[in-house]
Parts: sequence; structure tokens; C-alpha cells
Amino acid sequence: MKKIIAVIALIVISAFLFGGVVEMRNQDGGGFGNPVETEMDEYFLENSQDHNQVNNVVTAVLFDYRGLDTLGEATVLFSAVSGVLTVLRKTISSKEGEE
Amino acid sequence: MMLYYILQVLILIGLVSTAAAVIWFKDLISAAIALGASSLILALQFYLLRAPDVAIAEAAVGAALTTAIFIFAIKSTDRTEGYK
Amino acid sequence: MNVKMSVVVRTVADIMVVPIVVFGIYLILHGHLTPGGGFQGGAVVASSTALLIVAHGAMKDNKTDLSNMESTGLTLFFLLAMVGLIMGFSLFYNSLAGTGGIFGGTVSGINPGYINTGGTIPLMNIVVGMEVIAALSLILWMMAKRSGSLEVEK
Repeated sequence: MKKIIAVIALIVISAFLFGGVVEMRNQDGGGFGNPVETEMDEYFLENSQDHNQVNNVVTAVLFDYRGLDTLGEATVLFSAVSGVLTVLRKTISSKEGEE
Repeated sequence: MMLYYILQVLILIGLVSTAAAVIWFKDLISAAIALGASSLILALQFYLLRAPDVAIAEAAVGAALTTAIFIFAIKSTDRTEGYK
Repeated sequence: MNVKMSVVVRTVADIMVVPIVVFGIYLILHGHLTPGGGFQGGAVVASSTALLIVAHGAMKDNKTDLSNMESTGLTLFFLLAMVGLIMGFSLFYNSLAGTGGIFGGTVSGINPGYINTGGTIPLMNIVVGMEVIAALSLILWMMAKRSGSLEVEK
């Protein structure tokens, strides 16, 4: 019974994924590899060099237009390091055992 | 242009086979190294899709740092998969 | 416990660390001109730390320095974000671009490769690179030390 449910779930999920890929290839004016242009794309590409004197538009979006997202990313990295240091620090019992 | 498509097909075959090898290996260090190889092939795919900054990040983090962290973690636990 | 590798591996690691670190610093400093940036360059520099730890298996106790470096990076990043607010614009506004100060050169149109441009963006790249180097090195250092493959020199 469990196996039949797993096979049915596999078929349904893979049908969704294949359908998504086929749908992605056949969009009007876009498709996979040729995304539809929006107003924000054109605004960034046209104005980022004049606003920032920067060639790399990715960096301009990352640090200027969407800077708050990068601040959150840096905070996530900081809390990841805090978590690693908290988990792996020497506790009292292991210190007694080792030294 | 023909070379581009041949390269795409080769990269897809390598990506799927290394990802299957990660699941297939019972030795966890072999699995970690296969995961690093998969990341390296994925970085090549990112470079071919014209995202060189993502390719640099994927190669540095996926192939170097994640493999090292996995191997350090495997070293302090068991090397083979499964219960004894 | 002897955790260092053979003399061939150690010599090659010592030689290869130099170009890896130089390439990472290049990626950080040229982040506003070429593909790359703070996170990518920091990850490349941190991979040289992985190479050194795996090859030598011994390192000085620099956990406090790395921790201070990471906290300094995050704090300076937020202060650089506040510069736009202090100058009278919004948060993260690039208010130093084109003002003539450090990294404040002016270029009309396509930048032909002048590094002295970009306003706060190169400064933010440097600061984020500092934070990423310290964070990833600290994770590697701690994992290696607790798994027994790193001897800490006093």
C-alpha cells in the first residue's frame, strides 16, 4: 500500500515538473532562456550606470537598489556562524573528559 | 553552435550521473567528493548560461568549502552509511 | 596525533595559497567593474583557508581575531547603509557616487575600467568581503578543530 502511494506521488510530481518545463518553453515572447522584459529590468539596465558609475549591474542591484536584502543575507551568515560556534564550543563535561 | 549543444548534453549527462552517484555510494567520503564534482559541473553550466558571478560562487562554495566541511563532519562520525 | 600531510602537499599548498588569495582580493576590489563581488571573493579567499587547514593540520589560535573581523564587517556594512540616510536620502542610497571623494570619480556612460568610481558600492564590497572571509574561515576552523584534524598552536 505504501509503495503504491509513493509511485502515485512520484507520477503526479514528475507530471507537474515536466508540464512546467514544456510550458516554460512555449511562452509568448519569452520562454526558457529568454525571459519576458519588464519595466524594472529596463530601468536598471538603462540607469544603473548613470546613477552609480558602475559597470556591473548585478552589483548595483545587490548593493544599491536591493540593499536591504543584502543586509539580511549578511545577518543570516552572521547568525549561522553564531550557531556553529554555539553548537561546537567546549562544554563543561567535555572539558573534564578531554583535559 | 553545434559545439554548444554537444557541451550542454554532456553537462546534463555528467550532472545527472554524479547526482546519482551521490545516492549510490555507501562510502560517505566518496559521496561527498561526488557532490563536489556535481557542484563543479553545475558551475560550468552557470558559466555557459552567462552568469559568471554565480559560477564563481558555486565553484568556491560548492566544490571547495562544502566538501571540506562534509569531510570534517564525516571524520567525527561513521564513515559508512547505515546502521550497524 | 599527527595530522599533517606529506611535504609535497604542504609545499604545493604554501605556493598555491598566494594566487588564490590574490585572485580573491582582485574579485573583491573589482566587484563593481567585472563579475564578482564581496561574497564571491570572500568565498575564494576562505577556500585558501580550507587548503591550509587540510594540508598543515595546525594553525595559530586566531578565533578571536576572526570573530572581531566578522562583527566589524557587519557593523561597517550597516553604517555604510546609513550614510545615504544621513546625507538626506533613503537607506542604501548611493550618495557618494560622483562626489569626488574616495571611490567618487565621475564617468559618463560606459565605465572603461576606472576603479576609482562607484561611491559606496566598492566600500560595501570590501566590507562584505571581510565579513564573508571571517565567517567561512571561522566555520571551517571550528569544524576542523572539533573533528580532531586541526592542532591549535599556542
